[in-house]
Amino acid sequence: MRWWQIRGRDADLERELRADLELEEEEQRERGLPSEESRYAARRALGNTVLIKEQTHEVWGWAPLERLWQDLRYALRQLRRSPGFASVCLITLALGIGANTAMFSVVQGVILAPLPFPEANRLMFLWEKRPSVPQLDVSYPNFEDWEKSTRSFDSMSALAFHNFDLTAPGRAEHLMGIRASYGFLRTLGVQPAAGRDFAASEDQANAAPVVLISDRLWRERFASDPRLVGRSVDLDGKSFTVIGVLPPEFHFLADADVITPLRPNLPLILTDRSVEALAVLARLKLGVTKDQAEAEVNTIQQELDRQYPDANRSIAVTATSLLQEILGDVRGTIVLLFGAVGLVLLIACANLANLLLARSTARAREFGVRAALGASRGRMVRQLLTESVVLSVAGGALGVLLAGFGLHALLAVLPHSLPRTGNIGLHIPVLLFTGGASIAVGILFGLAPALRCASTDVQGALQSASRGTTTGRHRLLGRLVVVQFALTLVLMTGAGLLLRSVRNLWHVNPGFNMRHVISFRVGLSPSFTNTPDRTRTAYQQLLARIREVPGVEAADLTNIVLLSGGDNGGPFWIGTRQPATLQEAPHALYFWTGPDYPKTMGLPLLQGRFFTPGDRIGTDKVVVIDSVLANRFFPNQNPVGQTLTVAHWGAARIVGVVGHVHNWGLDDPGTYLPQQIYIPAYQLPDSMVTDFFRTLTVIVRSALPPGELMPAIRNVVFTSGPDQPVYEVKTIDEVVSESMATRNIAILLLGVFAGLALLLSSVGIYGVVSYSVMRRTQEIGIRMALGADRSRVFRMIVGQGIGMAGAGLGFGVLAAIALVRLLPSFSHLLYGVGQIDPLTLFCVSVGLLLVAVAACLLPASRAMRTDPMWALRTE
Amino acid sequence: MAPTEKQSKQSMAVLQGTLDMLILRTLLYGPAHGHQIGKYIQRTTNDFLQMQHGSLYPALHRLEQRGWVSAKWETAPDRNREFKYYRLTEKGRKQLMVEESQWKQMMEAVARVMWPAAEEG
Repeated sequence: MRWWQIRGRDADLERELRADLELEEEEQRERGLPSEESRYAARRALGNTVLIKEQTHEVWGWAPLERLWQDLRYALRQLRRSPGFASVCLITLALGIGANTAMFSVVQGVILAPLPFPEANRLMFLWEKRPSVPQLDVSYPNFEDWEKSTRSFDSMSALAFHNFDLTAPGRAEHLMGIRASYGFLRTLGVQPAAGRDFAASEDQANAAPVVLISDRLWRERFASDPRLVGRSVDLDGKSFTVIGVLPPEFHFLADADVITPLRPNLPLILTDRSVEALAVLARLKLGVTKDQAEAEVNTIQQELDRQYPDANRSIAVTATSLLQEILGDVRGTIVLLFGAVGLVLLIACANLANLLLARSTARAREFGVRAALGASRGRMVRQLLTESVVLSVAGGALGVLLAGFGLHALLAVLPHSLPRTGNIGLHIPVLLFTGGASIAVGILFGLAPALRCASTDVQGALQSASRGTTTGRHRLLGRLVVVQFALTLVLMTGAGLLLRSVRNLWHVNPGFNMRHVISFRVGLSPSFTNTPDRTRTAYQQLLARIREVPGVEAADLTNIVLLSGGDNGGPFWIGTRQPATLQEAPHALYFWTGPDYPKTMGLPLLQGRFFTPGDRIGTDKVVVIDSVLANRFFPNQNPVGQTLTVAHWGAARIVGVVGHVHNWGLDDPGTYLPQQIYIPAYQLPDSMVTDFFRTLTVIVRSALPPGELMPAIRNVVFTSGPDQPVYEVKTIDEVVSESMATRNIAILLLGVFAGLALLLSSVGIYGVVSYSVMRRTQEIGIRMALGADRSRVFRMIVGQGIGMAGAGLGFGVLAAIALVRLLPSFSHLLYGVGQIDPLTLFCVSVGLLLVAVAACLLPASRAMRTDPMWALRTE
Repeated sequence: MAPTEKQSKQSMAVLQGTLDMLILRTLLYGPAHGHQIGKYIQRTTNDFLQMQHGSLYPALHRLEQRGWVSAKWETAPDRNREFKYYRLTEKGRKQLMVEESQWKQMMEAVARVMWPAAEEG
């Protein structure tokens, strides 16, 4: 039978039953029974007609759907009948599910969505590592040997990130780019949208320069010119032929606009096995695992260690997936926040279960009647679950709306450094998740009340409709409040610990003055930098002009903007005798800079002097060291005047000692490259000058805000050459904020979630205590009639609330302590607070207790005002 | 004689498996409506199978669904009113034979276990 025939069939069955019933009645009457009795007898003989109809429907095969439809209609009718209850539930659910939807869309977009490359799970990076350093770039000769000998990979490519100045045709522009060895696009599995990939012959030292450009650059800069391929552009003062345009969806790590072959453009590093400067991208062969591949490359590297003991010593190889490399620490933070928002939903569920349980008391009579009429327990549970799922799905739909707004706000505050934010949105997988979560949530919070409701004792329910069995129900309500408070305490402790960490971080002394420093970069016109001498002069003149700008207190160049993640380290040794291998030599962070650096950065000079304009090429090499290096290598002696050798540069005289600075973030633990060496940029040898100066950043100390100062500086730069871009303008304050971005977003979201949790659990405890006061009116009346005074009643009610909250806080403290220990993705965000922080735990607990007391005040005062006579009479 | 509770439980269990067969067999005499079928079974079994007529209807509809009986509203000769008359179809006739032989087989099997002496003798 088809479902549309059911209605007709139903009428038919009804008619059949009626006909037979009437016949039975007639027969009974004919036997001599009075008419009234014959009707009853006939009904008895036929049996329960509702049940018969249901069983017959079952035979027709559409019963489950019919029941669902019936339950749905019934559920909607129930909700319409109690709009207050329904709206409280819907708001709670919309908040809980909405927050989860928004957070899941971040999880989906950033972590789960596939990378825009075919079979991206086979893409990975290979890195060198040493016992002391977990992840290092790779030297070109090592890469070449790996590429030649491995069999685990379809292809691999060595990359160096490089920023290019595009100067012709048109205005000067600074572009992010990649220098890649042959096979880069093939490894990624990408074809140019126009033109072609570069050939192996073009990745040779003397090959004619060629370039691939991004779709964005092609559209914006070259107006989608279809004949661009084959023309030439000027990059860093050199003419390159455009051979291809990348497809629009191409995004790889830093969004590169320019890709050039590696070998013609980085000739200096091709032969030196000790210069670790490359990232190696590789695509696994089908069926080879990451571990197998890693093991194979390690075997090859062990052989290389034996062959070249000088450059390679105890180097191992480590592989990271492309996604892992893109996500970094962010993944842990996002998963953590997703867990936190899940807890909020659990708390919301507890509230809803509370509401439904309280309501189930009111509906005890209804279900008593149904049970008496022959409804089976399973049938009633199913119906109640349908009600709660209807609620949760409606709440989920509202939640998606909320998530839409929330996501809009969230995307606005997400740090720019967060990868793949472009993927975040309410896409199909997110909506599927929300649908599934809504149904699961409906079952979760509906199950306990449904089971309880359906197992109502029929007689008891019918006899005393408003009484029912309340003690068991009450215990369950209390337990739900305990769980809510425990979860809320966990969330608030997390937020509290982060808050304290961020506070501690802002009070860290980084070793320099973070205020009033602006950093920016300048692409000097290639015509000024065609010889080493002219390059040096050009930068000196640039700085001289900048120093004359009103408001500028000091200015200089640096290769590393502190706290921005810049890394330029290398080996050094005391004296002139080179150790057996460079790997064994101590390593330090190199700062290449000029005489005004300490004044600009507010760096304290502890001993001797800093550089002078006289420290330039041709004069004796000098260095300045930081206090950490001084204490470690010159304990109890004066380092000034001693000799120190910087690998690849030479021996120099130490002329001064400055304070140690934090470079790796305010929370710099001082474990990676703690020693710092300052080298005069103008003593850099000719061979390195042009390439190196291009990477330097100008730093300026000025009390003026960048908005006021920068136009004047741009003006100065443009008057000396209109093809000179000024870019990456940032204050150190901004750099610091960016370095704290992950923490800030974590604290913001965790704070919001903890706030939601607090709101929900205070509503929860308020509801349960009010409900219990209502249930206990009679008891309270008796107590007061027997002489309990009002304050005693008040204390009793508040005490009940404190009891529940206190139990919750006890469990919560244990859970919080365990979780902080178990979640490294959380504990690594902490700074300056222990994993168990008594102060935070204490404050949060006291705060929550106060909230619990406040929530109990209203119901307690209501209880206190109970009129004993009235209470006893109304029962 | 009204059946005891135990008896009615027993008869229900027996009914579950054999109701279909009994209905088909009853209809072998000619078309009948639900009330007649119920009464007939009840009378023929000396009230041992005194069922609530209600349990007949799901079974009747099941048989109709399977095409073993057909149904039609017809006027009863003695009542001058329409009743839903069920009629055995050709398919139903075959099904009755199948069920009957299965039932016989089972009865024989049960008998062999229950009264082995009788079998030997």
